[in-house]
Amino acid sequence: MNFNRFILIWLLLGLSKSYAQDSIQSQLDAVKSEITDLKKIEKSHFMIRGFTQFGLDASSEDLSFNMTSFNPIILWRHGDRFLFESELEMEYMSNIFSLNLGYASASYLVTKGLVIKGGKILIPFGTFGEKFHPSWSNKLASAPLGFGHDGMVPMADVGVEVKGGVQVGSAKLSYAAYAVNGPRIKDGTEEPTEAGMLSFENMNDNNRNKAFGARLGILPLQNSSLELGGSVYYALPGSFKSPFAGDPKLKDLNYNNVTALLTALDLCFVKIIQPLSGVLDIKGQYNVSKISNATYFNPSDTARYTFQNNASSYYIQVAFRPSLLDNKVLKNFELVGRYSVYNTPKKSLWESEQSQIQFGLDYWFTWRTVIKVSYQINNGTMGGSGMSSMAGMAGMSANVILFHIATGF
Amino acid sequence: MKKFIIPSIFVFTLFVCMLFFQNCTASKEAIANKSGAQLWGENCLRCHNTPSPTDFNDTQWKTIGLHMQDRANLTKDEADKIVTFLQSAN
Ligand code: HEC
Repeated sequence: MNFNRFILIWLLLGLSKSYAQDSIQSQLDAVKSEITDLKKIEKSHFMIRGFTQFGLDASSEDLSFNMTSFNPIILWRHGDRFLFESELEMEYMSNIFSLNLGYASASYLVTKGLVIKGGKILIPFGTFGEKFHPSWSNKLASAPLGFGHDGMVPMADVGVEVKGGVQVGSAKLSYAAYAVNGPRIKDGTEEPTEAGMLSFENMNDNNRNKAFGARLGILPLQNSSLELGGSVYYALPGSFKSPFAGDPKLKDLNYNNVTALLTALDLCFVKIIQPLSGVLDIKGQYNVSKISNATYFNPSDTARYTFQNNASSYYIQVAFRPSLLDNKVLKNFELVGRYSVYNTPKKSLWESEQSQIQFGLDYWFTWRTVIKVSYQINNGTMGGSGMSSMAGMAGMSANVILFHIATGF
Repeated sequence: MKKFIIPSIFVFTLFVCMLFFQNCTASKEAIANKSGAQLWGENCLRCHNTPSPTDFNDTQWKTIGLHMQDRANLTKDEADKIVTFLQSAN
């Protein structure tokens, strides 16, 4: 009797044990498959990212809050090679709201080291516009002189591009070549004081010529810490027809043969410096623009005039962040200084010589959330006449203290 | 005089580059053997602070990898190794 009972208990125990084992096993399997599902890389992937910057600019004349950027970015990847990227730029500065398409392009990785791109692309003329412009990576609250509105540097345009990176021995080459719609020369019919300036902000081309450009960068050191680059950009910015075609006295003024040649040199050195317990970050770009001579018309004194249409600008920025320190607060501070200069053509109605020094102290909460406090000293002399603000200065002429918070999301 | 500044800087840069090409063969292997973690440490701080592997999931890293390969002209080898590293360490 006892023996039978023992067998029964043994059987029951055995069964329940295997039942429990089974259920643990099946739970484990379910968890495993969930993990593999999570780990599985989706073939097609859609992502919204972006960045925003908000701040207060205080000068002796003015105190204003500015929403200097709210830029949502849409990324859509299909498979291993196709990427669509687009950025909307919203800005609220000096009481003006503007909405712009920063870029919208499709790129396809053809083979190792060759990407082809089409759409509205960021122009690889130097590095600032394409690589360092987002407000969460720009360590100062504004762009250097010469970039942005009424600047001399093309930032984005509609066209096609081939680009890539290749290893050549211990060095790395970074190349890009593109054809885009190109700029339009301001002929003075709309803004007489800006005659001869290039406008890069047109979605429709004004002629059948495209602008061509290329950049070649070299990273000579094995650890990629240094990059030196050279860029060229060539365009015929005039329209075929004279803008004064209807005016018998001025119809000989024509800009269809005007050529524009822009060149730039850029430098970027970023390296962890162990003895200083931090990262040293040096960036710079030098731009030259040469536009062939043309005759313009000044409606205020009805005289014709000409000038050597050469402009140049540069910036150099040095930053240091003691990110290797153990101190949890100190390691998030970053010191930054930038000097930039923008000289517009002498004897033009937009002649000016501007320089700007900016010192900043940043505090990084995360890798892309930052508070920037900076002091900006602007210097400028204007030649010409009738200009209300200096080209590329965004209306700021006095010294300014800027408090900004920028974040990527 | 000013006319010559840009061409001479270009020539100087090219010259410096040539010097670097000279001693390239010896280190070719060292470059091919670089790990994804090392490449991540060297490349991702050039334009912005380096994100940590835990900031994004595997699918997101793949998309970001392609985006940064394009934006930074990384070689395919670098981009692949960096993405594999980020996916394994998140
Ligand atoms: C050449 C400059 C440059 C380098 C090098 C670079 N990035 Fe970026 N990164 C950018 C820019 C610019 C953006 C902002 C997106 C934009 O405007 O297209 C960005 C955005 C990002 C974002 C936000 C999501 C996105 O895709 O927009 C992540 C994450 C990121 N980078 C990770 C990396 C990693 C990881 C590396 C190292 C492989 C890297 N970056 C190297 C320039 C760079």
